[in-house]
Amino acid sequence: MRHKIRTRLGAIGALAALGLVAACGGGGASGGAAQSGPTEITFWSWTKGSAEVVDAFNALHTDVKVKFEQIPSGAAGGYTKMTNAIKAGNAPDVMNIEYPVLPDYVSQGSLADLSAKVGDLKAKFPDQIRALTELGGKTWAVPLDASPMVLYYRKDFFDANGIAAPKTWDEYKAAAAKVKQADPKARIGTFFPDDPGHFASLAWQAGGKWFGTSGDSWHVSIDDPKSKQVADYWQGLISEDLVRVQSAFSQEWNAGVKAGETVSYVGASWGAGSALRANQPDQAGKWAVAPIPHWGTPASGMYGGSTFAVAKDSKKVDAAVKFIGWMTTDAQAITTRLGIAKSTMYPAAADMVPVAAKSFDNSFFGGQDAYSVYKDAAATIKNGWTWGPSMFATNSTLKDNFGTVTSGGALTDALRKAQQSTVDELKKRGLNVS
Amino acid sequence: MSAKKSQRGAATLLMAPFFALFLGTLVVPIGYAAYLSLFTERSSGLGFGGTETLFTGLGNYLHALADPAFRDGFGVIAGYVLGYIPVMVGGALLLALLLDSTLARAKRFFQLTLYLPHAVPGIIAAIIWLYLYTPGLSPVVAAMREGGLTWNFLSSDHALSSVINISLWEWVGYNVVIFYAALQAVPREVVEAASVDGAGELRTALSIKLPMIRAAVVMTVLFTVIGALQLFTEPMILNGANPAVNTTWTPNMYAYDAAFRRGDYGVAAAASILLAFVAALLSFVVTRIGNRKGAA
Repeated sequence: MRHKIRTRLGAIGALAALGLVAACGGGGASGGAAQSGPTEITFWSWTKGSAEVVDAFNALHTDVKVKFEQIPSGAAGGYTKMTNAIKAGNAPDVMNIEYPVLPDYVSQGSLADLSAKVGDLKAKFPDQIRALTELGGKTWAVPLDASPMVLYYRKDFFDANGIAAPKTWDEYKAAAAKVKQADPKARIGTFFPDDPGHFASLAWQAGGKWFGTSGDSWHVSIDDPKSKQVADYWQGLISEDLVRVQSAFSQEWNAGVKAGETVSYVGASWGAGSALRANQPDQAGKWAVAPIPHWGTPASGMYGGSTFAVAKDSKKVDAAVKFIGWMTTDAQAITTRLGIAKSTMYPAAADMVPVAAKSFDNSFFGGQDAYSVYKDAAATIKNGWTWGPSMFATNSTLKDNFGTVTSGGALTDALRKAQQSTVDELKKRGLNVS
Repeated sequence: MSAKKSQRGAATLLMAPFFALFLGTLVVPIGYAAYLSLFTERSSGLGFGGTETLFTGLGNYLHALADPAFRDGFGVIAGYVLGYIPVMVGGALLLALLLDSTLARAKRFFQLTLYLPHAVPGIIAAIIWLYLYTPGLSPVVAAMREGGLTWNFLSSDHALSSVINISLWEWVGYNVVIFYAALQAVPREVVEAASVDGAGELRTALSIKLPMIRAAVVMTVLFTVIGALQLFTEPMILNGANPAVNTTWTPNMYAYDAAFRRGDYGVAAAASILLAFVAALLSFVVTRIGNRKGAA
């Protein structure tokens, strides 16, 4: 017996040693380009359809070869992985970075300045979205999607109970009460305490402006009146038990949607493909999409949304930009992502919108022309929103304090604390705050 | 002479892997952390011109010590230790003594069953427990509700107990095995003498067996305290599900947050070194107390 154990331990030890050796050999993503043959670049992403798009790119190009690695979504650990890789000097050439945290990566000095490389590419994007990728007068990333907010709802449930898709937030509250009345187990939607990005996009839609710059200093106003209004509104829904409080995309949330007990979802264009259709294939045809409820005049904000950036240490910036340009502005890349990989993202490049509309599969929405809803929503995205340079820190504070909402915490308090901690964080880094 | 020489050669050869790994995975990282902890990154203006690295001396240490979030983490650990250690050690001792008593049947089976949870990696255990804690998913919560007991494992009031519960599940069986092994080393003649003198099972356990495995108990407490300071996996998984378990709930989570969310490797390194220092101090104190009692 003892002998057996020892042999087994020896075997485990040998395996572990092998693993160590293999791990040592695996590093250095951007090293050792061959002089002849294609330039090989590495690409990390989690956006739906990236693997398929990379395959399509590789099949068409002989000068650049892309090695793709699927990583967890940013909030689920993807950003940690990237930050570590950057710090360790083995970052991939091309990285998936969402708008909110692009300024974080830029201010940490992690990205390559693409200003000189994206001359022609820049013109393909609307000014408003391009502005989110230009910081301090330089271009740092190329946008993939515009991610306007919309309202997804279970049309079968709404119709059966005579509830209309709410057009304003007042109507949303009334509809929430009707949903609960129709089925005591059902709720209209969810507040996501762990996903401050979702709240930020609601504040954006309401006309809040968390960050701004004048000259070379930052304004921070996370607790501005519009954001407080949104906080009070959701606080009311939560305290009257009209919405659920669950983590975004959690098992719990999925289970509620699956059981037909969570009957709508305020989300971005990409949410249909990544969150709803992927997890609830049996609910195809039961969902519909409507503009997000508004505060008086139709408006939308952006929730998430991806850009592609190049690591500062990358020695293959030209190849990387070529790949990024193809991925974001080539019709075949868009048809692959939407048609084959069933993503529902809304492209940032204006020329790509009709292409995307054509390859979008409407069956999940019972044939409804969902894409035209996205298009209208994208046109109403409010101008002038800026993300700050410390969204990771801001989001940590928001998340910690939003979490207390079920035990008596106030959402407006969370905003106030995030305001304070964000100003402290910026000052600690030596930035100007006015 | 040559035999001695070759013996020494063999010893060097056999010990080299240990020292190489010890150096590479312990000494060098600690040295690097100490180095990192002395520097800070500063930007200027809007911050888009990149960062410069500045020497800050003990600045990062002072920042961590002045940060209530970091200090609160030690409070959480203290609460955790106070709740966890008595139940864990008490439970493990009870089970080990039961296993060792002459009345026990199917010892091998129970040893294996008790140990089994420990074979599950901590992160998997935490994920399983998160399922078992989540209302709407958990059969346990549902069964408790059927029985008229409403207990929300994920409410902020029950954060500590929910984490302690996971730790107990993982570690009680492991410590039972350690205590049971120690009990096997108790000379049988002493136990027999006690029973000849008329001591029952209970009396033998309390007056003979317990004092004789004191060293094992002290060692377990020591390891558990140090392990508690490094509490990370379980709360990290519960973070987001339980509002009280925030991103800086334990000192280790504080360091993680500083490094990987705030990008402040200096403060993260300083917090880690402070944590290591506290762990060293505590192990010293616990061994001192343990030894004194052992000598008395």
